[in-house]
Amino acid sequence: MTMTNVQPHTTLANAPLGRAVRITRLHHPRKEIATRLRELGMCENALIRCVLRGNGNMICEVQNMRIGLDNRLAGSIMVTAPEEAGTA
Amino acid sequence: MTPPAAGSRTGLFRTVRKHPAGALKARTVALVGNPNCGKTTLFNALTGLRQRVGNYPGVTVEKKEGRLALQDGIQCTLIDLPGTYSLLASAPDEQIATDILLGRASHTARPDLVVCVVDACNIERSLYLVSQLLDRSVPLVIALNMVDAAERNGITVRLRVLERELGVRVVPTVASKRRGVEELKRVIGQGAGAAGKSRQWRLPEPVQRECDELIGLLDEHHQLKGPDAFDEAAALLATDTADLERMVRYDPVLRDHVRRDHQRLEFLGVDRRSVFVEARYQWIRTLCAEAVSQEPRNGDTLTHRIDRIVTHRVWGIVIFAGIMALLFQSIFTWAALPMAWIHDGFDALSLLLTRIIPPGDLRNLLVRGALGGVAAVVTFLPQIILLFLFIGVLEDSGYMARAAFIMDRVMGRVGLHGKSFIPLLSSFACAIPGIMATRTIENSKDRLATMLVAPLMSCSARLPVYTLLIAAFIPARSVLGIFTAAGLTLLSMYGLGLFAALGMAWLFKKTFLKSSVPVFLMELPEYKIPSIRSVLVQVAERAYSFLHRAGTIILGASILLWFLASYPRMDGALPAERLQHSYAGLAGRFIEPVIRPLGFDWKVGIGLVSSLLQREMFVSTMGTIYNIDNANDEGGQASLRDRMNSDRDPATGLPTFTALTAVCLMVYYVLAMQCLSTVAVMRRETNSWRWPAFQIAYMSALAYGVTFVVYRAGLWLGLGG
Repeated sequence: MTMTNVQPHTTLANAPLGRAVRITRLHHPRKEIATRLRELGMCENALIRCVLRGNGNMICEVQNMRIGLDNRLAGSIMVTAPEEAGTA
Repeated sequence: MTPPAAGSRTGLFRTVRKHPAGALKARTVALVGNPNCGKTTLFNALTGLRQRVGNYPGVTVEKKEGRLALQDGIQCTLIDLPGTYSLLASAPDEQIATDILLGRASHTARPDLVVCVVDACNIERSLYLVSQLLDRSVPLVIALNMVDAAERNGITVRLRVLERELGVRVVPTVASKRRGVEELKRVIGQGAGAAGKSRQWRLPEPVQRECDELIGLLDEHHQLKGPDAFDEAAALLATDTADLERMVRYDPVLRDHVRRDHQRLEFLGVDRRSVFVEARYQWIRTLCAEAVSQEPRNGDTLTHRIDRIVTHRVWGIVIFAGIMALLFQSIFTWAALPMAWIHDGFDALSLLLTRIIPPGDLRNLLVRGALGGVAAVVTFLPQIILLFLFIGVLEDSGYMARAAFIMDRVMGRVGLHGKSFIPLLSSFACAIPGIMATRTIENSKDRLATMLVAPLMSCSARLPVYTLLIAAFIPARSVLGIFTAAGLTLLSMYGLGLFAALGMAWLFKKTFLKSSVPVFLMELPEYKIPSIRSVLVQVAERAYSFLHRAGTIILGASILLWFLASYPRMDGALPAERLQHSYAGLAGRFIEPVIRPLGFDWKVGIGLVSSLLQREMFVSTMGTIYNIDNANDEGGQASLRDRMNSDRDPATGLPTFTALTAVCLMVYYVLAMQCLSTVAVMRRETNSWRWPAFQIAYMSALAYGVTFVVYRAGLWLGLGG
């Protein structure tokens, strides 16, 4: 259940490399994109780890799965500060 | 709950044993699973070559069906459904999978049994789809695939716990090594598919209460019941409140109720959009905590180490370019020997027919018409096989998704999505699957732009044209010691197609297909050693399709062309004169004034007209024409390229083909829309004649314009001799 009592601190685009963070909120304007993110396991409360950054895009690990996404999309995913999240 | 004993539930297939002839066809088993879970590899392992590829009626989603031979001679139909992450997905190919699974598709019966392929390395994500199938009471068996990779990654799955909690059979498999495949067949044959335990996940109490009320209203106002009503209620609770105004299909009372539900849930701080997905995942996490354990990882995985290099901002591009260069170079060099064998084989057959059939029309028809045309095309089979082998290996190894990741920036610069790269790369094989593959692109304008430019990528049907012209007219010179002029010319043609496709996509996206910036979101599967069997099955299927076309359409067209190029008869005339005054010659000369500015004569004109049927027809047309043109030769077929090389215009004595003509012809073939099958698919895919007509118009204008410029520039530079 998502009781939105956790304040988002940063976006996935700014999350440090290699550290697990917890997703607090998806606020992408396109509903179908947010739905697809959630179906891929990138839903609120899920742990996620950014493992590689490239030219304008990044690779993240969530549930043993590697997902490639661009920085704009990563910017619409709010995450808690790494120290609050533990390890993925 | 104990998992169902074999054959205990419905006695599935029992009637099949009693009525093997009639009832077997009615029994269908569907394979479903997330993308990249090894579903197609399992499908190939289960069916081998006993498969048929087609389309679902009315749409261009590929339909793969195969015969599944079970124990005791039982057979059934196995359907490989498009990969999907969810039953609520909106992408068209995922919708097809959902419709079939839920018995909503008019063209395909509801499967008697569903085998859900679950990636053992990624059970949590896969169980999301499983839980939806369980909620729908679908008779289910789970194939827990890639258990070897899971073991390597330190993942232990307690099968008994999974079976107990899900209420269905779970069969561990390694499809690429055929491990567990016989056991899976046995379980399928026993009809051990159970509906499993539904709705084990729990919504927060206030959400469940609103949901129950809404289900009651949906039943009252719209006669919706059961899981359909639940899914509808969930969708209504998750939707934006503003969108409710537009949902006029719902009763106003119900819409008002939903509006109040939204307010109540928001007051309680519930995120309506995520609560359903999260509740399901919450249950999955609890289940996995008991059923799955994973050893802590020491250091980086192999996939991560490879990714660090192949997705690197510099090395990634270098590796990608190297792989592409290797692909085209190998198509040209590795295929040479088997091509020579096929050529020699046809020569021997031609000689044999010449010896046993007396001179006359029948011999000419068989040797110079049918055999000449078909041989010219079939000779290129090794190159087609190599192309599909490369594409299959790149896909199966997991590299193809990285190529899309790397190319996202390039694609983004022309306004396309990184995912557009895969349809474009598939179009190197054939534009038809390429256009079909655009269905994974969510944005309709991005998708249309990709479809419009996909035929600019050089498909395998152009390959015989390029290789014939390159072999005949491009000097065999070494470049930088490792490449040849031939290989680089071939690469340039593919590069030109790619460049033109990106350029036109940029133009379209800047003008009438403007849309928001595409979003890149894509799963990157683990790297693995490609399944040789699975790749070979796909290559065999494509090779068969190529040979089938050669044996049907091209054979028929070659015979027709032989007739048109041989009649009306002019006994006593020279072969060149006979051809010039034949029906085909008349047609070629009719269009010659239009193509002359491009450096093409009437013989090329015949080739261009016949290419409208299929591009590779150019080669068989040249094969037929030059066979007839050299009708005085007794037995055997001299090399087509030698004949084209030595052909001279009777009037001027100048060569008919030069290196410049060959390059112009290749440029024309790169850019022109000459494939009626692609036009038909575009018509079906866009549901209108407008876009295929536009595609033909812009590609024809582009081909003519660019070829004209290249020819004139070549003449100006003195390359026309």
